[in-house]
Amino acid sequence: MAKGFFTDTTVCIGCKACEVACKEWNQLPDDGLIFTGMSYDNTVQLGASTWRHVAFIEQPAATKEDPALGDFSWLMMSDVCKHCQRAGCLEACPTGAIVRTEFDSVYVQPDICNGCGYCISACPFGVIDRREDDGRAWKCTLCYDRLKDGMTPACAKACPTDSIVFGDLDELKEKAGDRVQQLRDGGVEEAYLYGVDEVGQPGTEGLNAFFLLVDEPEVYNLPPDPVVPTKKVGSAWTSAALAAAGVALAAAGAAVMNRGGRG
Amino acid sequence: MTPRAGDDGRNIDPRLGSLEGEGAQQRTGGEEPGNLQPYATWSNPAGSPPRQGDPTYYDRPVLKEPVWIWAVPAYFYAGGVAGASAILAAAAGRLGGDDTEDLVVRARWIAAVSGGAGSVLLIHDLGRPRRFLHMLRVFRPTSPMSVGSWILATATPLFGGAALLSRARGAPGRLGRILGTAGAALGLPLTTYTAVLLSNTAVPVWQETRRSLPLLFAASAAGGSAALLEMTSLNDKERDIVRRFGMAAGVAEIVAGGWVEREANRIERVGRPLQEGVGGGLWTASKSLTIASVVLTALSGRQRWARGPAALAGTGASLATRFALFHAGKGSARDPRATFHLQRQTSAAPMDRSSPTI
Repeated sequence: MAKGFFTDTTVCIGCKACEVACKEWNQLPDDGLIFTGMSYDNTVQLGASTWRHVAFIEQPAATKEDPALGDFSWLMMSDVCKHCQRAGCLEACPTGAIVRTEFDSVYVQPDICNGCGYCISACPFGVIDRREDDGRAWKCTLCYDRLKDGMTPACAKACPTDSIVFGDLDELKEKAGDRVQQLRDGGVEEAYLYGVDEVGQPGTEGLNAFFLLVDEPEVYNLPPDPVVPTKKVGSAWTSAALAAAGVALAAAGAAVMNRGGRG
Repeated sequence: MTPRAGDDGRNIDPRLGSLEGEGAQQRTGGEEPGNLQPYATWSNPAGSPPRQGDPTYYDRPVLKEPVWIWAVPAYFYAGGVAGASAILAAAAGRLGGDDTEDLVVRARWIAAVSGGAGSVLLIHDLGRPRRFLHMLRVFRPTSPMSVGSWILATATPLFGGAALLSRARGAPGRLGRILGTAGAALGLPLTTYTAVLLSNTAVPVWQETRRSLPLLFAASAAGGSAALLEMTSLNDKERDIVRRFGMAAGVAEIVAGGWVEREANRIERVGRPLQEGVGGGLWTASKSLTIASVVLTALSGRQRWARGPAALAGTGASLATRFALFHAGKGSARDPRATFHLQRQTSAAPMDRSSPTI
């Protein structure tokens, strides 16, 4: 049964309980304790040891709910591996370390990964990363260990506002559609779903972890039209075949001309 | 010795908690915790409003920078030279007529040594080098790295066998020729698949140059191979073969380089890392060295003094091309606008927010 996340950013309060629950449950080491000056975001990005990341976007615009607060508002979004239907990391992995599980999630087997780094350049979302002192690539497992025991992933379990909803993909899509409609009916016309299916995001054929956003994807550091690299690479193979034939012709020509010439 | 709580960045006291989580095997304890450097792009004062119209997230990269080290572009050079040398050895041996034995021998040895060196470079780049054999666990046609690993793993022993048997007579000599021909057949994809490997990524400048890059890499491989062979001692007839091969490669490199630039520059932000910074500098160097090597190679037919400089320029051009593309890709991954502009301007997807999904 396909499982996934529906992350409704309109109810995220930026508490970072998801980040903490993920770190604690998965026993992930820290990857540096720094102060960035980027609003409340000192986590900065998803990485080998950070599998949930809450983005804080400060905007010079009044909120609709309470204009008296002045020209200032926040967008918050808990980002995670998208477990793409067409996953760039999985299609690029040369060792078979990255597999699709029975829950339709994308999982990296740490005992297989040899740290070649190809998945890292193949991910159009910049999710998966290699920890240099470990040598291997890591990312969100959709709490594979918890799912096998019928439990909810740690981040969704810890989310106090149900901004992160975990469940069967079909039910999540229905729930998300209802929520967008509710928001639009209530006057939030900018609400939309990011990556919910193949129609909206043909490049990935849909994300198992999709989002409800209220601004351009770039604002949240999401690519507007991510495409799994494999979908575009056909023309490169064609060029490669022609170019290789060119090398063979040049070599043959150089050798043959010689025989005709002075040989 | 029992590790103290907090030793490994987890703050788990081993007497109270066991390490069984999905990330518990993640090793720590290098000099610096991993992945902490790339904050250099953040330069806005805290809390400054995002720019209207062309937003990014605090100018943070949207992609992860490729983690590959110098060994990868060095391998692109070595693997390309190996493939092209194997092809030239087979062509000269089968089609070159008499008096080409020295050329065949030297080209076979260059193929064997560069193929072996390339394999070592690739293993050195791995995060877990001792697991290099995991590359041969599966064959995954969607992964140019998997395809390439199989090509390299098959071709290198063939190159080695052909080189060892290159002076042999009789049956061993015939076996050497068979190995040489088989190696040359695998040398064909070896000269070009590395370009596909780069294009099969989310890195804008690599992705956008996917049609021209294989041609550039093939030409650069042939040019690098010819340059190395020019440094060896050959008779006049063999030297002519190498010179023609090198001239064809040099001209192709100039043409392909122009095409790469055109493909990259269709979107300004995508082409930028080939004009600025380390990548831009190396790219200019590679273009100049290619032109120099073509001119010097043409001269070297009459002027003996030009042989050495021509070989050096050809080698430098081939190396600079690979390192330029490598560094340009790193720069491209660091620039979120390269990704955003590329996707906005070339997208076929319905990126219209008035509909409830995009």
